[in-house]
Amino acid sequence: MSLMHDIAFTLNGVKRSATVRVDMSALDMLRDVVGLTGTKYGCGEGECGACTIQVDGLSINSCLMFAVDCHGRDVVTIEGLADDPASGRAAALRHAFVEHGAVQCGFCTPGMMMQASHLLDKHPHADEDSIKRGIEGNICRCTGYKKIVDAIVAVSHQEGKGATT
Amino acid sequence: MMDIQHYLAPTSLGQALDCLMDGDVTILAGGTDVMPQSQAGKLKFKRTLMNIRHIPELIGVAPQGGDICIGALTTVTELMDNALVQRHLPVLVDACDHFASDQIRNCATLGGNICNASPAGDTLIPLLVLDARVELASKAKGKLNWRSLPLAEFFTGPGMTCRAPNELLVGVRIPLPEPGRVAYFHKFGTRPALDISTISIGIAGTLRKAALFNVRVAFGAVAPTPVRAPRTEQALEGKRLEPGSIALVAEVARDEVTPIDDLRASAWYRKELIHNMTKRMLDHVAHA
Amino acid sequence: MTVAEKTRFIQPDTLIGKRIVKMDAPEKIEGKTRYIHDISLPGQLHGKILRSARVHARIKSIDCSAARSLPGVHAVITAADVPDQRPIGVARDHLPLKGDRVRSQRDEIAAVAADSEEIACQALKLIRVEYEDLPVLSDPRDALKPGAVLIHPEPHGADGSSEHLKQGAPVAYAGKPDNIAMRFDYSHGDVAQGEAESDVVIEDTFQLHYVTHCCMGVSGIIAEFDASGNLLMYSNTQVPFLHKREFADYLNMDPARIRIIQPPIGGGFGSKLDIYPFEVICVFLARAAKRPVKLLFTREEEFLASPTRQPVLLTLRSGCRKDGTLTFRQVNTLHDNGAYTSWGATTPFVMMQTFSSLYRVPHCDYHTVAVYTNNPYAGSFRGYGNLQATFAIEQHMDMLAEAIGMDPFDFRLKNAQDAGEVTGQGMSFKSCGFKDCLNTVATRSDYQNKRKLNQAAQSAPGAIKRGIGMASMLHVGGGAKIYPSDGCGTILKLDDFAHVTLITGASEIGQGSETVLSQLVCEELGLPMSALTVVNNDTAITPWDVGVHASRTTFIAGNSAIGAAKKAKVKILAAAAKKFACPEADLGLRGGWVIKAATGEALIDLPRLLRSLHFTDKAELVMTTFYYEPPSVHQDKAYKGDVSAAYAWATQAVEVEVDTETGIVRMVKVTGAHDVGRVLNRLGIEGQIEGGVVMGQGYALTENLMIVNGVMKNPNFRDYKLVTAPEIPEMDISFIESMDGEGPQGAKGVGEAPAICIAAATANAIYNATGVRMFDLPFTPERVYRALHGKSEKPSWKPL
Repeated sequence: MSLMHDIAFTLNGVKRSATVRVDMSALDMLRDVVGLTGTKYGCGEGECGACTIQVDGLSINSCLMFAVDCHGRDVVTIEGLADDPASGRAAALRHAFVEHGAVQCGFCTPGMMMQASHLLDKHPHADEDSIKRGIEGNICRCTGYKKIVDAIVAVSHQEGKGATT
Repeated sequence: MMDIQHYLAPTSLGQALDCLMDGDVTILAGGTDVMPQSQAGKLKFKRTLMNIRHIPELIGVAPQGGDICIGALTTVTELMDNALVQRHLPVLVDACDHFASDQIRNCATLGGNICNASPAGDTLIPLLVLDARVELASKAKGKLNWRSLPLAEFFTGPGMTCRAPNELLVGVRIPLPEPGRVAYFHKFGTRPALDISTISIGIAGTLRKAALFNVRVAFGAVAPTPVRAPRTEQALEGKRLEPGSIALVAEVARDEVTPIDDLRASAWYRKELIHNMTKRMLDHVAHA
Repeated sequence: MTVAEKTRFIQPDTLIGKRIVKMDAPEKIEGKTRYIHDISLPGQLHGKILRSARVHARIKSIDCSAARSLPGVHAVITAADVPDQRPIGVARDHLPLKGDRVRSQRDEIAAVAADSEEIACQALKLIRVEYEDLPVLSDPRDALKPGAVLIHPEPHGADGSSEHLKQGAPVAYAGKPDNIAMRFDYSHGDVAQGEAESDVVIEDTFQLHYVTHCCMGVSGIIAEFDASGNLLMYSNTQVPFLHKREFADYLNMDPARIRIIQPPIGGGFGSKLDIYPFEVICVFLARAAKRPVKLLFTREEEFLASPTRQPVLLTLRSGCRKDGTLTFRQVNTLHDNGAYTSWGATTPFVMMQTFSSLYRVPHCDYHTVAVYTNNPYAGSFRGYGNLQATFAIEQHMDMLAEAIGMDPFDFRLKNAQDAGEVTGQGMSFKSCGFKDCLNTVATRSDYQNKRKLNQAAQSAPGAIKRGIGMASMLHVGGGAKIYPSDGCGTILKLDDFAHVTLITGASEIGQGSETVLSQLVCEELGLPMSALTVVNNDTAITPWDVGVHASRTTFIAGNSAIGAAKKAKVKILAAAAKKFACPEADLGLRGGWVIKAATGEALIDLPRLLRSLHFTDKAELVMTTFYYEPPSVHQDKAYKGDVSAAYAWATQAVEVEVDTETGIVRMVKVTGAHDVGRVLNRLGIEGQIEGGVVMGQGYALTENLMIVNGVMKNPNFRDYKLVTAPEIPEMDISFIESMDGEGPQGAKGVGEAPAICIAAATANAIYNATGVRMFDLPFTPERVYRALHGKSEKPSWKPL
């Protein structure tokens, strides 16, 4: 029987606690213990980015993170990114992803959104090449990336002009 | 499978070293190697899992007596973004830019990369040519002990270092490069990052009169550990960089390395790459 | 009306050709979409499969006792527990649970249903299997040699006597005295005559490698029996109605008692067109445990146990006259069938179409032998053999042109067909934009100039060489009549608020079918996209559709949806004509209103008209149905016939940079022209093309499933390289609208097209850059470097 451990952390702006197996990944905790299924299992080894979440303002692969390492930290998942009304950027990204056709099967989309959001947090005026580098850890099999990049570029240009939604 | 019986998250170096004295500890920093390796069955958890991310002595980048000291918990992103590192150690920033992905860089630590001791480790090649030393701490009879050794001596085999089980890697110390010092890094790949190196090359030297002095050359993924290349260094030392001498250095480099055939590449191809890319890098230095 | 209303006029507008956002995109970007991985049924157990530890071996014993007694384990099954299991697959040679022998690395030996995934995994570790190794057959060429180990030998009883296959008996016996799984033989014309008429004849062997789908969502299934023994499956199948019937067969059940619900899928690309052991096994577990069972793959399992693209060893002999006309093609292929037969073995159906009909070929002779080995088996994968065939043909087009001193573009144009032609295989090209595709690409990419410049620069100093290469493709664009029906049914329901429910048999696999079908219905009924809801994922509700394959959905489901919409329009306008006392032909539907067709004058809004139809003593709801069967025919026994209602073409020019000091090939730009009949959803079709180009890029440059002695060496993303964002080429995409007469609004299918000729064009581009031609894929750096330095061997194979 695996050792269990109690953790307390902030998830999508709400304080909560959880009891997790010590060897459990943050991804499994989010999906199976907390019950938020927006973050996806793509490979379990940090190569595809489908599991991307934000922790203390940084994007990371939740499949590589230990759940116990969430203790005391600020965790944001796709469900939290979508709900946050204060973040004009999230709404702009949502709008851009839909308008530019950046979604086909949608499985990579939560990870792409989380990574794009972090990328623009850090570099609000990122150009196309930086954006492509910025999502190099997110794999998509459907779109060929072009419309995803176009969507993120559109938001970065919007911010460049000072306009937000 | 995994039978972790204790989980600890010490908040001081002393606490962590006490724990290590009892032995049978798996150390957790960023987790980017520990988690996938344990899931793949390549790593068996020991009885205690120790999360070292809250130990203040392992955090920070600061100048100290002619050196730059980088704490073991410094993430790859923090390294890239650090003003000191950018100004004095740009080759390290360059290597970090080729490391995995943004998500992994935000989480992976320098200490973890060093202790994972992959022969293809991206940060390890520039550290070697920068004359980095690792600093290890341990506790014995209640007293804190320190040990420092050159990085080149720290690796003993693929995934193996001479860190004793009761030792913790505290940080890395790099001498401030003197004026005129240049350093270059090249990682072969079809992608800018997200690639385990097929080969990588680091070259450092003091550039004077179109020649490199006090040369350091290191190669990755061509030996059981990242290695310095003494014969290549000797061939390069003090020679005026022009096509003839560069061609010779490239030949020496190809002969010096002893890579293996594996899933990613054949030994022959790795040697060809070492030759061609060393030549290309030195051509670049010559025209700089 | 109690208040006088001003006369409104509604301007004509159209949805066709517009950029229409995908209907489920808003839900997907918020992470709210529930894929099969996200669905949990009350009381569900977790299923896990024990796979073989050997590649080829007799199973001596299986001991599950320790696994069975692990707390939390509800069921452990092996072949012995399901004596009634029936073999699956097109050749019925594949038992879901293997009892007597394993034939490949992924073979399923036992399965566990437990309270949690963790317990199920622990249980697997407690199962003890004893094997007796057998020789491994990993090269298909060895499979044909006399004395080769038989992969599917005749079964023998305990006393050593042979046991012939009984009718319906659950014994996986391929019934053949050798390792040949399937053969295909086709010809039109007379290749001997063709060869005699040729001024140039060339012959080369090409080798196409293993790649795999890598859908971002791994495979999974949930199976549940209800209290009456009806079976409900949550499945990502692309062919739900075929699966319903086949599962009934495999489980000895009444098909009416099987229901399949399709959650949104994390990618398909053809991987979900067959029934696989894990699906049947999950049903067995649900039956044994008397609880719902959910079974999901890990990514490693996805690599190991999913079908691959069909690897092909192919020798092509082609000829032409010195005036540039093609004379003949003679093809022999060796298909590695793997341990069990799936759709990979049937890729010759498509390959022979390409060999017989891509460009005008008077004489063609095609032979495939598919042989059993201990390798993974291949399934259907976007393009379905066409990538492999085009790789060979389009390199030969360049080589023939060079041999007669003709520009390769001119050579292609000379042999390209026009509308109205019927090929030797009986394919009738009613709409054909082939030459437009060629001309558009040549012009936009400046192909002819660049090719000459690059060729001249081959000997110039500098390690980086540029090259440009061209290739075209032909694929079915109006379905493919390979099943008894190639049709699709639609039910259309309009409610009292003029909200439309489109109930279609056509599944959505990420390609946007729900959006384009809605677009076609809204166009017909003059409604905005917001007026429509699609139901497409429950066999209990939706009408029959053969499935998502052969790029057929827009064409066939589209025509089906339009048919139902037209019927609804007739009903609506008949009622309006009565109401306004005018001929139906005077009326139209636009912007949610009934209008006067000539002026656009709005007469009554649709909701009000529909309510007036409903809430009267002659109460009538507007509900219509339509089943569309395309006017294609089944091929005859010689594989001849007009198998699709339309055909589609594309030409692509690929520009590369080859670093001759490393072998790295960078795909710089792809210029493509696609004959799509008509652009319906411009946003959707661009997305399909861009995604297909990058999939083709992966096939050509980065993806390589390495299988050595039957063992997969890189079942992970770390060492199986998918294309990432920084690697994509610049893309210039043009659409040729040849307006197909049968297609919905003139449109033809496009789902597979963009992936098909990228590898061929890339091969031609590398030749243009370096003067070195590569006859085998992939063009990964070491392989290219070896070819450039004369350190690699050209594939060669002489068929027996």
